[in-house]
Amino acid sequence: MEVGLIAIGAAIAVGLCAIATALAQARIGAAAVGAIAEKPELTGRAILLVAIPETLVILGFAVAAMIILILGG
Amino acid sequence: MLVPMTKVCIVGPKRRLDRALEELHRLELVHLKDAKEEPYSVSPLPEDEGRLGRADELRFLIADLEALLDLLPGPNGDRPKADLVPGAVDAGYVLARLDEVSPQVEEIEQRLETLGDEQVVLPRYLEPLENLLPLVPELARLEEHELDLLRLDTVALVLNTDDESVVETLRGELAERIGNRFELVYENIEDGAIGCVLVFSHDDTEAVHELLGKEHVRHAALPEGYEKHSLYGAVATMKERIRELPAEISRTRKELYALLRPHEEEWRPLLAGLRAELEQLEAAALVGGTHRAFVVSCWLPKAELPSLREELEKRVGSEVVVEEMPSDPRDEETPVLMHNPRVARPFEFLVRFLDLPRSGTLDPTGLMALFLPLMFGVMVGDVVYGAVLLAISLWLKRRFAEPGVLRDLASVLLIGSVWSIVFGFVFGEALGNLGYQVLGFDWALWVYRPNALTPLLIFALALGATHVVLGLLLGVWQGFKARHRGEVLEKVGTLLVLAGLFAVAGLVAGFLPGGTLTPAVAALIVGLVVVMGAHGRMGLLMGPLELIGAVGNVLSYLRLAAVGLASAYLAIVANEFAVVAPLWIGVIIAAFFHALNLALAAFSPMIQALRLHYVEFFSKFYAGGGHPFVPFGARAPEPPAVERPLTYETNNP
Repeated sequence: MEVGLIAIGAAIAVGLCAIATALAQARIGAAAVGAIAEKPELTGRAILLVAIPETLVILGFAVAAMIILILGG
Repeated sequence: MLVPMTKVCIVGPKRRLDRALEELHRLELVHLKDAKEEPYSVSPLPEDEGRLGRADELRFLIADLEALLDLLPGPNGDRPKADLVPGAVDAGYVLARLDEVSPQVEEIEQRLETLGDEQVVLPRYLEPLENLLPLVPELARLEEHELDLLRLDTVALVLNTDDESVVETLRGELAERIGNRFELVYENIEDGAIGCVLVFSHDDTEAVHELLGKEHVRHAALPEGYEKHSLYGAVATMKERIRELPAEISRTRKELYALLRPHEEEWRPLLAGLRAELEQLEAAALVGGTHRAFVVSCWLPKAELPSLREELEKRVGSEVVVEEMPSDPRDEETPVLMHNPRVARPFEFLVRFLDLPRSGTLDPTGLMALFLPLMFGVMVGDVVYGAVLLAISLWLKRRFAEPGVLRDLASVLLIGSVWSIVFGFVFGEALGNLGYQVLGFDWALWVYRPNALTPLLIFALALGATHVVLGLLLGVWQGFKARHRGEVLEKVGTLLVLAGLFAVAGLVAGFLPGGTLTPAVAALIVGLVVVMGAHGRMGLLMGPLELIGAVGNVLSYLRLAAVGLASAYLAIVANEFAVVAPLWIGVIIAAFFHALNLALAAFSPMIQALRLHYVEFFSKFYAGGGHPFVPFGARAPEPPAVERPLTYETNNP
């Protein structure tokens, strides 16, 4: 039971962060594609902007790893 | 690295200008700059009617030649190089050749257009006619002259409605006009359309057409050339024609190619000569002058300066002088030319993809060539996946032999796949845990990833810290060179804080002795103060934010572990499928999952490694916004296709 709860906790940590990242990337991505359509030379910077919220899910992964490693023994 | 550039001023007598421009065009060494924008006082060259007229004539000929050569299939990108003496391409000769060939080309193009129209239009006629045939089968077999003998006329109508009462209304109107001397049959031929055939006496033709015109009913007239046939005959002839058209179009196209091909060999060098001359004429607009002299201002690689001097003296004469001008290498107007060792060159396009580095700053291509494939390898970390990617990249390199983005990508993938194989041995992975299961022992040189989360996380963080610290050190060096005190302070402060944080983390993990706590905390506090100081009045707010960002940057490298673990687990899941189902189904499912994982492995780690460079690494020192060095006379890429406005036909007034 305890292992199950730890697993759910870790999953929530990653899952919620992934949803937040997805929401942010959806908006940035739509705007970036619009910008690229107007100015193709902005492709590199657009990728950069789309990539920025990914840090959220990586932090979620870090928290999940800590939950598993510290609580899971 | 960025090639050091120097600004030069080329001065000579005006009568040698054309010759000088021609030789500069041939040498492809200099990036022209507008001499009138220079601090020394020169005036624009007076407008030369002859030059302007010649440029207009050349533009016209180039457009015509390009249009004709574009009609030929195959790539037209290979533009032969030609530096012909202005006037050496005889414009009169080109015009005569165009006048000779163009009418024939126009005639064939007209034919092709007609055939194309026919190919589009005939099926539109065919469908309603085929639907109308069953309505009056006997009459449909009569030719026009037979209908004339019977003194009968027929009209085929298509009413764009489902409402059959419209037909009855039409019937009533007809009865009112011509009594009962007609026959009207109809049928729903498709959704929203009723097909009708109207048969009437030849004497009533005028009255019927008047009525149909008044009611805005359009009859489905047969295309030209088909009116003399019976309806059946017309349909059969149309079907035959539709079958014949593709072959006829292909024949006509071959006729066009046969007409143009013999001229292609002659026209391409002529076109290159015309373009070269036009470029030289247009370059004259950037030249400044005094009463008797011309002044050309340009940039060129510093190492090429002696060569430029020597070549111009040899080819144009000692009257033309090349003078090196004082310039600041950090001047934003300095054009940028990247030149890296062969192994790093494929990575240049990845740097340019973000932005071209500004002149006088660092070119990160070499570091990218070192770290990007390494990070890619850490994430893939599988011997078999690496080997497959290596094979794919070798095939891609053979397939795309010409320099270009795809070849560069293949080279990047090749180096990445070699690192993937290396880390495959480090992590002991071959198709996930399959290698372990087959061999029966753990053959990892270090750790097997799914069993060693903590070492993997520490490794990812260590790699991230190295990368970020390297970026900060480069930022310090760059700030020092540019004498940006604030930038140096900010980077040094961030380095101190990171060092303090690493020391505290080391203390907590038990790697460092307790005595290091005081210097660690001191480094943290001093670093924070320095970063705040570097931001001036906004320091209290911006300093902590900068530091959180730097720590976030290091943590961001945890994706190396995350993406790698996801890939390893997907491979394990694929292998599990192989044993839970019957063997042959299991193997198919496992192969599918491994193929999916491989596709992800080629794409996702590359994007993640790129992101780590663009966001985490470059943000510490990289300064973009450079202008590319475009040598005068170099073959430029084809101009982008001009968007053609759409034309609409409308019935609205």
